Amino acid sequence: MGGAFELQSLGDVILLLALALAAAPWFGAYLGRVYMDRPLPGDLVLTRIESGIYRLLGTSPRRSMPAGEYMLALLLVNGGMLAFLFFFFFDQSALPLNPTSVPNMSWDLAFHSASSFTTNTDYTHFTNESQISFGAIIIAWQLALFLSAATGLAVMAAMIRGFVRKDGTLGNFYVDMVRTILRVLLPISIVGALILVLLGVPETYTATVIAHPITGGSQTIYLGPVASFQSMSLLGTNGGGWYSANMASPLANPSAVSNLFAVFIMLLIPFSAPFAFAQIIRRKGEAWPFVGTVLIVLVVALGLFIAFQAATNPGIATVANLGAQTNGYPVGQETRFSLPEASLFQVVSVYGNVGANNMAIGSVTPVAQMVLLFGMFTQSTPGGEGTGFGMLLLFAVLAIFVGGLMVGRTPEYLGKKIETSHLKWAALALLIHPATILIPFVLSVAGGFVDLNGANLPTTAHNFTSVLYEFTSESANNGSALSTGAFNDTTPFFNLVGAAVMLIGRFVPIWAMLKVGDLFARQEALPPNSGTLRTSSGTFTVYLTLFLIITSALLFLPVLAMGPLAQIVGGM
Amino acid sequence: MSGTPPAPVAARPSPGPIPVVLAVPPAVPGVPPPTRGAGRRRIRPAHSFGTHVRAALLFLVLSVLVSGFAYPLFVTEVAQVIDPGAANGSLLHYPNGTVAGSSLIAQNTSAPYLFWARPSLTDYNTTLGAATPPGPTDPALGALLNETLSYMRAYGNFTVNASLPFWWVAPSGSSVDPDLTPEAVLVQIPRVSEATNLSIAYLTAFVNDHIQEPVIPFVGVPYVDVLSLDLDLLPLIGR
Repeated sequence: MGGAFELQSLGDVILLLALALAAAPWFGAYLGRVYMDRPLPGDLVLTRIESGIYRLLGTSPRRSMPAGEYMLALLLVNGGMLAFLFFFFFDQSALPLNPTSVPNMSWDLAFHSASSFTTNTDYTHFTNESQISFGAIIIAWQLALFLSAATGLAVMAAMIRGFVRKDGTLGNFYVDMVRTILRVLLPISIVGALILVLLGVPETYTATVIAHPITGGSQTIYLGPVASFQSMSLLGTNGGGWYSANMASPLANPSAVSNLFAVFIMLLIPFSAPFAFAQIIRRKGEAWPFVGTVLIVLVVALGLFIAFQAATNPGIATVANLGAQTNGYPVGQETRFSLPEASLFQVVSVYGNVGANNMAIGSVTPVAQMVLLFGMFTQSTPGGEGTGFGMLLLFAVLAIFVGGLMVGRTPEYLGKKIETSHLKWAALALLIHPATILIPFVLSVAGGFVDLNGANLPTTAHNFTSVLYEFTSESANNGSALSTGAFNDTTPFFNLVGAAVMLIGRFVPIWAMLKVGDLFARQEALPPNSGTLRTSSGTFTVYLTLFLIITSALLFLPVLAMGPLAQIVGGM
Repeated sequence: MSGTPPAPVAARPSPGPIPVVLAVPPAVPGVPPPTRGAGRRRIRPAHSFGTHVRAALLFLVLSVLVSGFAYPLFVTEVAQVIDPGAANGSLLHYPNGTVAGSSLIAQNTSAPYLFWARPSLTDYNTTLGAATPPGPTDPALGALLNETLSYMRAYGNFTVNASLPFWWVAPSGSSVDPDLTPEAVLVQIPRVSEATNLSIAYLTAFVNDHIQEPVIPFVGVPYVDVLSLDLDLLPLIGR
C-alpha cells in the first residue's frame, strides 16, 4: 500500500513501544519495592512525611488488614470521594472557581459524573467547556484522578501480596494509598506535566481568553492548569480530558511529539505491573508471560487498526471529486499526527482502559471500532491502573485451572493450589463484565430508551454499536465514547444505569481480586515438584494469550455480529 | 499451628504393630497436611470501624489539599517560568497587541483573501466543545462531504470537477484542528492570488516558508498552521 500512509512513522511507533518496554523492568522493580516497604531513593524526606501522615490517620504499616477490612477502608475512601464529587458538581455554581458561570449539574448527571470519575472511568455525559466549572475540575475531578488510580494500584499490590503471605492479611490500605501517591503518581505526574508544558500545553491561572478573529466576531479560548490535569489523567489511566475533544484538542495534545509522550505516560505503569509482580514474588521470569500476552494482543490490535484506517471507506464511494486518501482516513482525525501515531495513541488508550481519544472514534471505520471494543472486553491487555493486571492474574488463575484439568495435573500457581473457591471469584470478575454490558443494553432497547431503527442496515448497526460501546466502556471503566449522536445519553435513564454499571464494573472485580488474594494469603506455599506447570515459559505465554482471546471472543461474539460486523456487511 | 500430634516416641524401638499409625494418614506427595479450618480462620482486624471512618475522612482532606491545590499550584508556578508562551495558550497577537487567537485553535477564516482551515462542525465555537463527524457507514457522512465540497468549489473559484484534498474537506476530531496538510494549503493559492493580487509564485514561496517539518525526523507529518499563515499574510495585503 505504497503511499497509503506515512510508512516511516511506523518506526517511531515501534521505537516508542520498545522504550516503554525498556523502562518497564526498571520501573516495575521500583513499584515492587514501593509495595514491599523496601528502601527507596527519597526515603530521607518521604519516610518522615509518610510516618507523619500515618500518625495523623491513626494507622501504621505494621497494621496489616485482612481482605474484608481492606475492602472496608477502600469503600470508605471511595464512597467519601463519590459523595464529595457528587455534592461539588450538584452545587458547582455557588462553589469556588467558577469564572465562566457554569450552572449546577442535575442530580442524575452529577451522580453519573461522580461515579464515572471515582471508578477511574471518566466517561462524561456533559460538555466540559460549558457544563463543568474550573473548580469542579481542579478540586473535585482531579482528586479522583489521583485516588482512583491509587486505589487500583493498591488493590493490585494487596492481591499480589497474597502470593507471598501466609498470615491471611493483604497489607494496609491507607499505607498503600499514601505510598502510591507520594512515591509514584505525584512525582511522575509533575515531571509529565512540565514536559507537556514544554511541548505546548497550557498551564495557567487564566481561565479564558477572548480572541478576535480576522473575519470578525469573537472566540473564547479555554485555558487553565491543563497540563497538570492531563498528565495525571493519562498516568492514572483515567482518561478524562480538560477539553471535551480530550487529547484530540490541539491545546491538550499540540504535536506528534506530545502525542507519543502521552502514549509513554499511559504505558509506563501498566507495562511495569508484571515486573512489580515478579519483584514482589521474587521470581523474575514470571513477568514475561503477562508482558508477552499484553504485547501480542496490543500489537495485533494496533496492526488491524492501522490497516483498516488506511483502507478506503466504501461508505463514501459516491462522493465525487474527493482527493486521494493519504495518511489514512481523515474524517475525525487531526492533521498533525501520522496514521500510525494517531492509531498507537488510540489503541493504547482504549486497551489500557485510559479512554482518552486523540480522534473522533465515532468516525473510525467499523473494523477499527470493533478492535477498540475488543480491548474493553478483555479489560486486561494491559487494562486499567492496577486493576488491569489484577484481571490478567485472574485470567491466569482460570487458565491454569482449565489447563490443569486438561492435562490431569493439580492446578497450582507459584506453589499455591488453585481450588474451586479461587475459581468462583475469578469467574465472577469475568462474568460480571458481560452481565453489566448486556443486561443494561437489553433494558435500554426493550424499554424504548434508545431507538435502533435507522433508514438502513448500516445506520441501525451503527446505532446498535454506539449503545453497545457506551455500556462496554462504562463496564470496563474505560471512558472512551463514540459520541455519534445516535442516541441521547444525557437522560436520567442513561445517567443512572450508567452510574450503576460503572460502580458494579469497578467494585465487584476489585472485591474478587482481594478475595483471591485473601485465599492465597491463607495457603502455605508448596515446593515445586515434577507435576508443576512452568508458568514462566513461552508455552504458557501462548496458552494464556489464546485463553484470554478465546474467552473474551466467546463472551461477546454475538453482540459484535449484530453491531460492527453488520455495519461492515451492510456498508459494503 | 498444631495440626499434627507429636510422634509416639515410645513406639520407636518396638518392631511390633503400631496402632498409632492408623491415626496419621500416610503422606501423599503433592497433598498438604490437612489444616482444618485454616481457610476460614478469623484474623484480628487492624482497626476499629470508628478509626477507619476517621482515617478515611482525614485521608480525603489531605488528598484534596495535595491534588486540588499543592499540585496544580506548583506545576503552574514552574510552568510560567520555563515556558510562559506555551503555558499561556500559544496566543497570537495583531501588531497592536490585541489577541487574534491561539496557534492551536482554528478559526473561521473563510474570506476569499485568506487560507481556510478544515471545516468545523461547531463553527469553531469552542464553548460547544467538539462534535463527532458522522460514522463511516452513516449516509449523513456522504451528504456532509458533498455539501462541504460544493461550498468550497462555489466560493473557492475552483474549476468544475477539481479534485480537492480529502484532508481539507473532512471534518476533524477536535472540530478546531488548526493545521492543514501542505497540499490543502497549496490548492487554495489560485483563489488567494485572485483576491489579493499577489502572484501565484510569490504565494507558493510564502506557503512553503510556513510548512512545519517534523522536529524529530518521522515523528509527525509536515503541516501548516493556518492562523499563523493568515496573520503573516495580512501585512502583505495591507489589511
